[in-house]
Amino acid sequence: MSKISFPYPFPEHLSIIVPEMFIAVMAMTVLLWSLFLPKEKNYIAAWMAASACAAAIPLLLSQAGAIGLTTFYGFFILDAFAVYAKLILLLTSIFAIVMSIDFMKKEANAGEYYAMILFAVLGMMFMISAANLVMMYLSMELMALSVYVLVAYQREVVRSSEAALKYFILGSLASGIMLYGMSFLYGVTGQFDFQAIGIALQGVGHNGHLAVMVGMLFVIVGLAFKLSAAPFHMWTPDAYEGAPTPVTAFMSVAPKIAAFALFIRFLVEALPAVQHEYIPILTGLALLTMAVGNIAAIAQRNIKRMLAYSTIGHVGFALLGLIAANADGYAGVLTYLTIYLFMNMGIFAIIILMRGKDGFKGELIDDYAGMSQKRPIYALAMALLLLSLAGIPFLGGFWAKYAVFIAAIEAGHVVLALIALLFSVVGAFYYLRIIKYIYFDQPRGEFEISDNSTMQVIVTVCTIMVVVLGLFPGPLMELCHQALIGLV
Amino acid sequence: MVTTHATLSSVELLAIPLLPLLAALVVGLGGKVLKEQLSHWICCVGVILSALLSIHIFSQVADGASFYGNFWTWIVSGKLIIPVGMMIDQLTAVMMITVTIVAACVHVYTIGYMHGDPGYTRFFAYISAFTFAMLVLIMGNNFFTLFFGWEGVGLISYLLIGFWFKRERANVAAMKAFIVNRIGDFGFIIGMIAIWHYFGTLDYHEVFAAMPVFLAHHYALNLGSWEVSAITFICVALFIGAMGKSAQVPLHVWLPDSMEGPTPISALIHAATMVTAGIFMVARLSPLFEFSDTALAFVTITGALTAWICATIGLVQNDIKRVIAYSTCSQLGYMFVACGVSAYGAGIFHLMTHAWFKGLLFLAAGSVIHGVMADQDIRRMGQLRKYMPITYITMLIGALALSGIPPFAGFWSKDLIIEATSVRHMGWVSEFAYWALLSGVFFTAFYTFRMFFLTFHNSDRVPQKTKPHLHESPKVITIPLMILAAGAALTGWWGAKVLNLPGEGGESFFGHSIFVLPQHNPMITLEVMEQSHTTGLWLESGAVIFALTGIALAWIMYFKPSTIPAKMAKSFPALHQFLLDKWRFDELYWSIFVMPARNIGTWLWQQADLAAIDKGIIHGGIINGITVAARKLREMQTGMVYHYAYAMVIGLFGLLTWLALGN
Repeated sequence: MSKISFPYPFPEHLSIIVPEMFIAVMAMTVLLWSLFLPKEKNYIAAWMAASACAAAIPLLLSQAGAIGLTTFYGFFILDAFAVYAKLILLLTSIFAIVMSIDFMKKEANAGEYYAMILFAVLGMMFMISAANLVMMYLSMELMALSVYVLVAYQREVVRSSEAALKYFILGSLASGIMLYGMSFLYGVTGQFDFQAIGIALQGVGHNGHLAVMVGMLFVIVGLAFKLSAAPFHMWTPDAYEGAPTPVTAFMSVAPKIAAFALFIRFLVEALPAVQHEYIPILTGLALLTMAVGNIAAIAQRNIKRMLAYSTIGHVGFALLGLIAANADGYAGVLTYLTIYLFMNMGIFAIIILMRGKDGFKGELIDDYAGMSQKRPIYALAMALLLLSLAGIPFLGGFWAKYAVFIAAIEAGHVVLALIALLFSVVGAFYYLRIIKYIYFDQPRGEFEISDNSTMQVIVTVCTIMVVVLGLFPGPLMELCHQALIGLV
Repeated sequence: MVTTHATLSSVELLAIPLLPLLAALVVGLGGKVLKEQLSHWICCVGVILSALLSIHIFSQVADGASFYGNFWTWIVSGKLIIPVGMMIDQLTAVMMITVTIVAACVHVYTIGYMHGDPGYTRFFAYISAFTFAMLVLIMGNNFFTLFFGWEGVGLISYLLIGFWFKRERANVAAMKAFIVNRIGDFGFIIGMIAIWHYFGTLDYHEVFAAMPVFLAHHYALNLGSWEVSAITFICVALFIGAMGKSAQVPLHVWLPDSMEGPTPISALIHAATMVTAGIFMVARLSPLFEFSDTALAFVTITGALTAWICATIGLVQNDIKRVIAYSTCSQLGYMFVACGVSAYGAGIFHLMTHAWFKGLLFLAAGSVIHGVMADQDIRRMGQLRKYMPITYITMLIGALALSGIPPFAGFWSKDLIIEATSVRHMGWVSEFAYWALLSGVFFTAFYTFRMFFLTFHNSDRVPQKTKPHLHESPKVITIPLMILAAGAALTGWWGAKVLNLPGEGGESFFGHSIFVLPQHNPMITLEVMEQSHTTGLWLESGAVIFALTGIALAWIMYFKPSTIPAKMAKSFPALHQFLLDKWRFDELYWSIFVMPARNIGTWLWQQADLAAIDKGIIHGGIINGITVAARKLREMQTGMVYHYAYAMVIGLFGLLTWLALGN
């Protein structure tokens, strides 16, 4: 018997990829098992998916000793930064899956839905750990394809399919642009690995400069699309509105975590040589994103569309952390994402609860009129979450903004921080307007909230976290700084 | 006296202000749930416990214990570090028992007086919060805690004057009190900043300890062409704060108007405690004031002027509470004169006795007002002693105490002040003060008994429809009256014994808590004179003679219906009207301060704010701009996928162009 000689040796440190493997196996298990689940028992698939995400957390933490190692020939890296980003990603995913249970109760083939979420989570975990252009592209596509399907999940709803199709077409365009940029970077440096590109770019002379610029810009545009940074944001409101609400909740947070993490790693490892060139680009993107997000939100009547613009606005603020381009800035982004996770998940949980008879969906801002009279506790939670989104001290959202603004100011971008501050004032308007509806207006017609204990838990946890993080932001900020050790 | 220098328990000390605070928070936030009965129980128990603890502390302090320490750091801003701490000594202990006992009586009294008021629980929350703020004011160990308490009592005074916020007059009075106090507070803040500037600390001990060094430097300020020594500047600035809080001419105008508030707070805040904060401050800061003769003279003159002016206004007022209110201003003037002539101990003694008898007079007046269906005009009272015997007797005790008739409380302390003023040599200042105070005694006795006779004797002028309601007040009202009456009768004697003023056989009770330069100390002079029996009859009983004359005159004019008052008013119409108009302070302030300020304010509001900024910049510029931009952005979101793709490509090329141009 002759030995089969595999062209490559068996990858080392394979254990660091165990959480991803586990999620992949679980995704397929959910998919298969759900074939045998009757429709009324599809919540079992949901709990399987949620527990898969939950179980991935200890698996992930068990690899804490392997920090700094890579596997698959340098494609996949695990560092403290990746561990932290994956933690908040998994937390988001658990929230999103649990939120879906009630929503998907009457849907057939819900197993596919949960499997798709797990595949998207898998893609995003790979994005967070990607250390190589190939890995970067593949993981983004895995995430994107899963999310396209999730957006289109309510096939019979025209709005849903339309949104998914738009998202798919524009997403493909963005992928194309990014791939084109990657080819430039590869062409100049001959490398796929981030760090190798970073080293090679330092030696690029005048001749290769334009190619590097084009490559850098195109890749940044691809990432900006995922982040919904203006002017690559236009898919966002349509997709958010069309998608089932739990999917909207999921895609308003999870892909942003993954894309920011990937963005940070890419900038830090591959592009330090062109920092002076990419900062103006990011500044332009941030300014435009803050402007579009905060201003366009004012004109919205649908709360999901409004929250889409709200997400865009928050992405604009968080970009300030990348522009600061130092440990404080990146830690600020992580802080921002963590607090944003709780704020957005809490808000969406309440929106999902706002479903009643006669097609009442709680999707219009008007629907929230008089909520304080009918359901004072939910109204209070919603008001706190909205105030936090608006960045009112001393709620979590204030510290999120504080972290990135202060980093930008200390890195010398004072004017940018001031403009961001002004936009956050504009942004406060549309959040406060909903509070005005909730507290000062009379209820219009029937007002219903479907009580659901799991959702109540999510709303409670999110609201408490927003308040607690608002009062004691220190430990979180410290943790986020710790997560950057080794990266920056 | 045993002199073990024991330290007081910090837990006990913290509990004294925190119990009322806790009660205020619980009742303030949960009043609607707790309902009336539970609310007043919580507040009364909190304050009574606090009073018992204060008495315990007082007895320990009397045995020589004291406390000085910081509990936690409140504010750190650069070099400015502000801790929260306490300084408990004899002065503080006297203030603590006075404040907490009067507060406890007022709390109980309120149960009866405010019964059925829609704001019942809110009222209890306020007065408990007031007790907290007042205790912080007196127990703190630095200028900032003093200031915190100072502003806290000011705020709650504002809230309580405007307690019946549906009455316009109450709101106006509340604002007036607040604004006039702001003027005083401005002086306080200036003084505090000056102390921070020169001493680099706001801690009492540190400031007092640094005084010799500070004085050695002979710092001076040039205010225009006028050179003022720094110590005078600091003391006068701080005293301006005291003038606002303690209603001294010309900042006294808010106190009579504050009578719009419910009577229990007139007793607690505007007679017994808050308004005496200024006297407390001057006594507390005696180590500063002693080194500025100018400031002491300023304090003396202000006090004497107030004592005299407000006494004359009191002669003709017809509102039962306003008479007592002017009397309060006037008596506060006596206390300041005491401080000004360096007889701080006598000032604090009078503060304490005054708290008892003035609190009593107000609560008795409240009982009367309660009886005659909320009428406050003494012209529509008379012969009430038949209906309200307990109120009658207690109020008589209060009136005798206020007039300074022995052996009631006011006699002891007021007499001491007048004696101290007569032996302290400050040139014309002390001469003027002496005669102002002495004639003030006559006026005080006259207006007090005028008010008393018109209310309880004279002819029965109660309107017919009120008659059936006339009755003695319930026990929750009369019991605090009796407690306070006992105090008004006995605290003078007790005080003279316990406080050991003027200081027979060595030091007075206050010991080192009050600092007096030996060459200033009128108490020493008095003691020497007493021992050599050279005080003379006039010095010892002059004030009593004046008081008795005043009472006698009031008896002639008002005990029985008489035409003398009307004739007198007719003989001196201008003077009568001038006094009735309260020396026209309000009119003066209206034309030189209020009207110009209102005119400027209206112009800024209408022209600058509404027209230029709101309509012009904000509405025309920013809001319209954003609304248009939002609409445009919404229109750009067409829903067409090729528009979206187009935007992406344009964006990409835009960035590319920027990059290319930038390099």
